Amino acid sequence: MTSYIARRVAQAIVVVIGVMILTFVLIHLVPGSAARAAMGVRANATRIAIFNTTYGLNKPLYAQFGDYVSGLLHGNLGISYTTQQPVSTLIAERLPGDILLLGVSTILAVAIAIPLGIYQAVRRNHLSDQLLDGISFTLYTMPDFFVAFLLIALLSVQLHVFPPEAPQATTVGGMLADPRALVLPIATLTVSNLAGYSRYMRSAAIDVLAEDFLRTARAKGLPERLVLSRHVLRNSILPIVTLIGLTFPNIVAGAVIAETVFNYQGMGLLFFQASTSHDYPVLLGTTLVIGAATVVGNLAADVAYGLLDPRIRHGNS
Amino acid sequence: MRTSRRLAIAAITIATAIGVAACSGSGGSSAIGSGNGSAATGQKVQGGTVTLAWPDGSAPNLIFPLPPATNTNGYNVNLTQMMWPYLVAEGDGGQSAVDPAESLYSSLAYSDGDKTVTIKLKPWKWSDGVSITSRDFTFVYNLLKANVPNWIDYTQGLFPDDVKSVQTPNASTIVLNLTRSYNPNFYTEDVLSGIPLLPQHAWDKESATGKVGNYDETAAGAKDVWNFLQKEGSDMTTFTTNPLWKVVDGPFTLASFNSNGDYTYVPNKNFSGTVPATAKVVNEVFTSDTAELDALRAGGSLTVGQLPQNDVKQIGILKTEGYSVVNQPIPGVSGTLLNFYNAQTGPLVSQLYIRQAMEDLTNRSQIVSKVYDGYADPGNGPVPTTAFGQWSSPVEKSGGPYPYDPAKAVSLLKAHGWKVAPGGTSTCQSPGTSDTECGAGITKNEALSFQLLYSAGSTTTDEMEAAIQSSSEQAGIKLSLKSEPFNTLASTVGECTASSHPASTCGWQLVDFGYDPYDLYPTGATIFNTNGPNNLGGYSSAEEDTLINETEYGASAQTFDTYENYTAEQLPWLWTPLPSIIDVYKSNLGGFAPLNPFSGSINPEDWYFTK
Repeated sequence: MTSYIARRVAQAIVVVIGVMILTFVLIHLVPGSAARAAMGVRANATRIAIFNTTYGLNKPLYAQFGDYVSGLLHGNLGISYTTQQPVSTLIAERLPGDILLLGVSTILAVAIAIPLGIYQAVRRNHLSDQLLDGISFTLYTMPDFFVAFLLIALLSVQLHVFPPEAPQATTVGGMLADPRALVLPIATLTVSNLAGYSRYMRSAAIDVLAEDFLRTARAKGLPERLVLSRHVLRNSILPIVTLIGLTFPNIVAGAVIAETVFNYQGMGLLFFQASTSHDYPVLLGTTLVIGAATVVGNLAADVAYGLLDPRIRHGNS
Repeated sequence: MRTSRRLAIAAITIATAIGVAACSGSGGSSAIGSGNGSAATGQKVQGGTVTLAWPDGSAPNLIFPLPPATNTNGYNVNLTQMMWPYLVAEGDGGQSAVDPAESLYSSLAYSDGDKTVTIKLKPWKWSDGVSITSRDFTFVYNLLKANVPNWIDYTQGLFPDDVKSVQTPNASTIVLNLTRSYNPNFYTEDVLSGIPLLPQHAWDKESATGKVGNYDETAAGAKDVWNFLQKEGSDMTTFTTNPLWKVVDGPFTLASFNSNGDYTYVPNKNFSGTVPATAKVVNEVFTSDTAELDALRAGGSLTVGQLPQNDVKQIGILKTEGYSVVNQPIPGVSGTLLNFYNAQTGPLVSQLYIRQAMEDLTNRSQIVSKVYDGYADPGNGPVPTTAFGQWSSPVEKSGGPYPYDPAKAVSLLKAHGWKVAPGGTSTCQSPGTSDTECGAGITKNEALSFQLLYSAGSTTTDEMEAAIQSSSEQAGIKLSLKSEPFNTLASTVGECTASSHPASTCGWQLVDFGYDPYDLYPTGATIFNTNGPNNLGGYSSAEEDTLINETEYGASAQTFDTYENYTAEQLPWLWTPLPSIIDVYKSNLGGFAPLNPFSGSINPEDWYFTK
């Protein structure tokens, strides 16, 4: 198992470096001038020159890349062209909020989807299953912003139960101190994830319920509660583990729609704004973090697979 | 001189929608107050917290009031001017005039043929009790003199280049000996209105641990002080803790600052003017118009916000939530920029009669009423009539030289040898340079066809451009519309003149960025003069240059009207309507109206709650 993990970590590092090189080259191929995007359309040649010198944009591309890698090795992700703040600071300020909101909503969605999916599988084609199917499909087809608008319109504008904004604090502690403001964004993100997870869980559980080993377990007199919790759950959860692994980078990448509607500044908006303003250091920094999260998520899913299913572990060793 | 301050006001109105449409359900009445609004009635009370909404991207990132050339964040001004106001305050009771009560000077006198300015300071004090003196002015002057062009508001030839010498005969008097005569209106309202006073006794340092000295009196020392203050001023984590920024002369001090751009003011208890009545002013940045509108509709947290033009129908709901609404004209010039040096369309737009035909086809009054629901300046020329009542000429006030007249447009084109194809594309049939021919550089069968780029993200702008496109078809002028994000436009639309014409950024034909904000004196310098830094399309006219110079340097009161009418007629831009800002504020907030458009209507020092 250890060598398996070591091998996967080494592959992950290569992938992250590849992502960094590719991103660096691609963003510099985008037409338009970073200086003009940052300084505005009416910046004169003198100011453009000052900007390019300040940020090293007057150097050849390979030299700029060298500077970037050198900075990276010293823990410096560069300075944002538009906010003039260190990229590492910008990411460090936005990441905790996203991890809190998206992390909690993912955990909630999984916690609800797993028993829901098993319940639907066991009650397959019964009225309750069909009813839950209908609800799931409805939620699955609803865009995030629509769910958000519905919740805000009902619970904020009409009933004044919850505020329409996420907490405005910039620390996790500060955000947790305003729990009412957490409700609507977390509910929106949970609903959005829940439908997908429960569909996967139901499908996987239906497959497992048809397996011979379950018939054997029941024939041996194992109570249904234990059949479901020990055998069905463990064997049908593998697709969910994959999904969670794939979701991990989303947690780090933020949620532009939720950030826009619920008024909190997360990684999604940071990336979006950087992409429209040619803010190369921020684009590179966020891509690097999201790339790293992607490989970590996949790595974690692979390891979890191995733990949950010994056949995979043994096959790899 | 005015770059960043212009941006400060401009940025307030930039649409921030990023693909999420705001809810626009039925809202009942859309009645709105006039530019003067209606003052809250009731007894003025001390205290209370005002929460003010700011749009996406408005987080300040520098607290030192003199930004470097690389920092174009106009919202820094909104942060700093409440603590370090300018020598000359702009906007008196919502009018385009100086506000002597809020200015730092007690008298301003021009002499020696308007080459000498004598400024007497009010006997005001810094928040630490030290008097504001002429030394504070020379501190600013020395810093700028040693560090231009690395100052964002620097315009070559203007302050401090135009100052031959500064004399300080006593602690409250400053005498500026200028290198040339200036129009006093221009110099007071556009130059001195951009100079803050800074506390020399606290800021003249080269390091955090060093002592205060007179380092600014040498060029090298001034550079060191500048670099130190820039470095300290960009550290957002110490905005509220650094002792430097605790010495202020404005009505507020900074109580908190979050990295997301939210910040809170509390009154400067030692302010020499009228201490603000509110206990706290919370500035909250919103990630979208939608989020701000939801907060307003929920009725709880926001005291002051702005309503996007697209959401005028929400006014009825907002009024039921206890808000009043007021219309704020923007002091700026709006229009479509023309690239006179585009190889394909430059010869076309160089012909005045073609520009006139295009303007004749723009139904500005209909755009104001149908697209903007009446909340826009008609854009009859270079000076908006709604924001600059005393500067706009009778010609502009009466509709401008080119009211909507499609028949005139058709006849103009026919008279110059064009085969006009309404609904199609008109073509030149008589190339040549005589009065009855198409004009220099225009070939036979050349089509009257242009690509018009404009800034994406606003439904009303989409509608306005579509209306112009549609009405232009009546004379066979074909406009292909293309909207792009503002920053993309900014990065690809370059300055194109006879001497500077980079192929990479001069392919554009027509572009509409929105508008270019004015200071208090709405001169066209830098926008319409030859080689003006903001003259992107390369418009060049000796007569225009002369008239602009006279508005800045001449003494005649008639000069401005002459300049304004000539510019309106010559069409260096194609004039378009300029939408207003729609401000929303709690009905028990007094002092909000009349608005001061020259500060973006952000004057919390004047606000108070009523009961």
